[in-house]
Amino acid sequence: MGVLSFLLLPLVAAAAVNAGQLTVQSPRFTVLSSDGSQLRSEKISLSNISPEPVSLGASDTLKLTFQVTDKEGGDGVQPHQTFLRFYDETTGEEGIQPVKVTPAGKAKFDLNMARPPSSLPPSGEAPLKVSLILGSYVHKPAKVDLFDLVVPASLPAPQHPDEHTFHPLPVISHTFRPEQKVPPRFVSAVSTAAVLAPWVVLLGLWGTVGAGVPRLFSPSIFPFTLSLGVIEALLLWYWVELRLGQILLYGSGAAFLSAVAGKQALASIGAHRLSRK
Amino acid sequence: MLRSLGALVLLGLAAISQAKSSSGNSVLVLIQPSLQQSNFSIFFDNLEKQGYDLTFRAPKDETPRIIQDGIPAYDHLIFFTPDTKSFAQDITPQTLVEALGGKTNLLIALSPKQTPLSSLAAEFSLILPPPGTPLVSHFPVRDTPATVIPIDVPAAHALLTPNTAPVWFSGVPYVLSNSPLLVPILHAPAESFASDSDKDSGADALFDAAEKGGEGLWAGSSLGVVSGFQTKDNGRVTFVGGVELFSDEYATKELSKGVLPGNEQFARDVAAWTFQEKLVLRIDKTSHHRVNETTPREHYTINDRIVFDAHISHYNPTSDAWEPYSGIKDMQLEFTMLDPHVRTALLPVAGSPGKYSVTFRAPDRHGVFKFVIDYKRKGWTFLSSSTTVPVIPPRHDGYPRFLSAAWPYYAGAISTSVGFVLFSALWLAGEARDVKKTKKTE
Repeated sequence: MGVLSFLLLPLVAAAAVNAGQLTVQSPRFTVLSSDGSQLRSEKISLSNISPEPVSLGASDTLKLTFQVTDKEGGDGVQPHQTFLRFYDETTGEEGIQPVKVTPAGKAKFDLNMARPPSSLPPSGEAPLKVSLILGSYVHKPAKVDLFDLVVPASLPAPQHPDEHTFHPLPVISHTFRPEQKVPPRFVSAVSTAAVLAPWVVLLGLWGTVGAGVPRLFSPSIFPFTLSLGVIEALLLWYWVELRLGQILLYGSGAAFLSAVAGKQALASIGAHRLSRK
Repeated sequence: MLRSLGALVLLGLAAISQAKSSSGNSVLVLIQPSLQQSNFSIFFDNLEKQGYDLTFRAPKDETPRIIQDGIPAYDHLIFFTPDTKSFAQDITPQTLVEALGGKTNLLIALSPKQTPLSSLAAEFSLILPPPGTPLVSHFPVRDTPATVIPIDVPAAHALLTPNTAPVWFSGVPYVLSNSPLLVPILHAPAESFASDSDKDSGADALFDAAEKGGEGLWAGSSLGVVSGFQTKDNGRVTFVGGVELFSDEYATKELSKGVLPGNEQFARDVAAWTFQEKLVLRIDKTSHHRVNETTPREHYTINDRIVFDAHISHYNPTSDAWEPYSGIKDMQLEFTMLDPHVRTALLPVAGSPGKYSVTFRAPDRHGVFKFVIDYKRKGWTFLSSSTTVPVIPPRHDGYPRFLSAAWPYYAGAISTSVGFVLFSALWLAGEARDVKKTKKTE
C-alpha cells in the first residue's frame, strides 16, 4: 500500500495543482412558516457571517439553495462531498447532513422542523453553527461558514443508565430519631427537695426529743454500727460500679462480720439494761 | 532510504525513559504474513526498550497459544491482523473475551475488511461502517491520497502526552455508543467521512447511502478512530481503526517541511494505557474503627461514630513501583444495607500520602451494613471494595445510666439507707430515759 501511494503521489499532486478552488455561488436561505408565508429570505454573504441568527419555530421550514462552482472556470461542478455541518459549541454535539447536488452544481436543502432530519443534533440554548463542507478529488476543498441556527430546544442526548455512577453521586445523610426528651432539671431538683423534706422534720423532732448517742464509741457498739454502714456503702458502690459476682463476694464478707459484731453489740446492750435495772 | 531515516530517528530518540507495565511484560504479537515485522520496527523496538518481551506469531500458527491449560499465557496481546479472515483454532472472539477476563490486555488494529475482529469490536459497542468504506478526508490540502489523513491529537487528554503532533491515520472509523466503559482517545476530523468511492462521481451514491441506510452516514468528529474500553474487571482493550498508524512509514512521513508527525509518541501512549502502565490505581487496604480507638470491632452499635480509612496507591511506570496517591478528590464512601444509608466524601488526609479517611455516625437502624467504595472514572482503573460489618442495638447496659429525671428516686433510696444506719446507731447507742411519773394532783 505504501509503494502504491508513492507512485500515485505525482498524479494526485498534479491533479490538485491544475484543478480550481471550489466555491459557493449565490447561497440563499429562506424561512417559511407552516402555512407557506415567507418569514425571512436573505442572501448569505461569504465574507462576513450574518450577524443575526436564523431562528426556526417548531413548524417552520428552512430552505437553503446554492450552486457549487469552480472559482477559475465559473462553471458548476458536482463535488464528491457536500455536507452541511450543524455544530453546538457548548456541548460538542455535531450533526452531518449530506446535500444532493446536481451535475450542474445546483444544490437545494430543506429543513422542516415539523419532521427534523436525524442528522440535526440535540441542542439547547446555544445556537447551532451551520457550515458547508465541500470536498473533491479533483478540486481544492472549501469550508464555508453559513449562519447560526436557533431551533427549539430538543431533549438532551440519551445517557447510558450507568453513566451517573461515573460521576460523584448525591450525598446522603441519615435522618436520626430525635433525642429522647428529658424533663427540665429544675423540676427534678424541686422534686428531690420534696423527697428530702421529711428529713428536716425528722432531725427537728429528734433534736426536740433530745436524742443522744452517749455510747456510740464504746468498743462493743461501734463495730456493729460501722459494719451496718459498710453494708450500706457496699450497696451504694454496687449501684454505681460493682458487678454481681463482686457484690456477692464482698457482701457475704461484710454480712459475716456484721453478724459477729451484732451479736456482741446486742449482748452488751442487754447487759447494760440489766445492770441499770 | 526509509530504513536509514528510520535508524536516524531511532538514534535521535535513544534516550527513551523506561516504562514498565504493572501487570507483566510478556506480549504476543499476532502479525499477518502480508505485513512485514520490519515495517513496524520503531513501535516494536520502543516496546522492547521499555522492557517488554515480544513473541511474534502468524494468525494461522497453532503455537504459541494465547490460553494454555485454561490460563492466559501472555499478559498482553497485539493484533496486527487487519485483513485476516480466519485465525487458528485458539483465537476466536470468545477466547479473546476469556483472555480479557483473565487480565490480558488487547491492542487490536481494524481495517475496512470484515473480519472476526470487527465482530469483536461490535461486542464492545463500536459500530463499524459497511465493509470496504475507509475513512476519507479532503481536508487539509495535501500530497497524500484522501485515505491517508493527518489527525490533530487533543492537546489535553488524560492518556496522551500534551502537545503531541498530528498523527497520520489510514483505516476505518466507527461510531461510539454512549457506554461509559468506552474511553475515546482519538476522534476523526470533522470533515472526514467513510466512503468507498474514489472519484467525484461517487457523490450521488454517497447521498443515497446516507438517506436509505438505517444508520445513515459515518461522518464528522463524533466518529472515533482510536478508542479504549475498560472492562469491569479492569481489563483494557483498545481498537485502532488502521494498522498503518503504527508503521515506520507513517512515523517518518513529514507533515510539512521538517515537521515530524506524532505517530511514534501517540503509539507509545496508546500502548502505555492499554498495557496497564498509566492511570492504574489500587486499594492497598481499608480499615475501620470507632473514634478514639485503633483496632476494628467485630460489630458496632447504632449511633456510634465510626472512622473509615482507605489506602490507595498509584502505579508509577518509570520506577515500576506502587506509590501512595492522594490525588483523588471526589471519592465517596457508602454505608449500605440494601440501599446506601450514608454516602459521604472520602477525602485525602493532609500529611499522610495515600490515606483517605472519613468520620461519620452510624445510622440508628441496626442490621448488617457494608462499607462500599465504588470509584469509577473514565480512563482510570475501577476501584471497588466492600467490607461487611454488623451494627447492633445497644446492650442492656449501653443506654445512658444516670438521668436527671431520676434524681428524686436516687434521693429517696439513699435516704432510706442513711435513715436505717442513723436509726440503728441511735437505737444501739442511745440511752432510754425513764418517763417521769407525774404526780396525780387532787
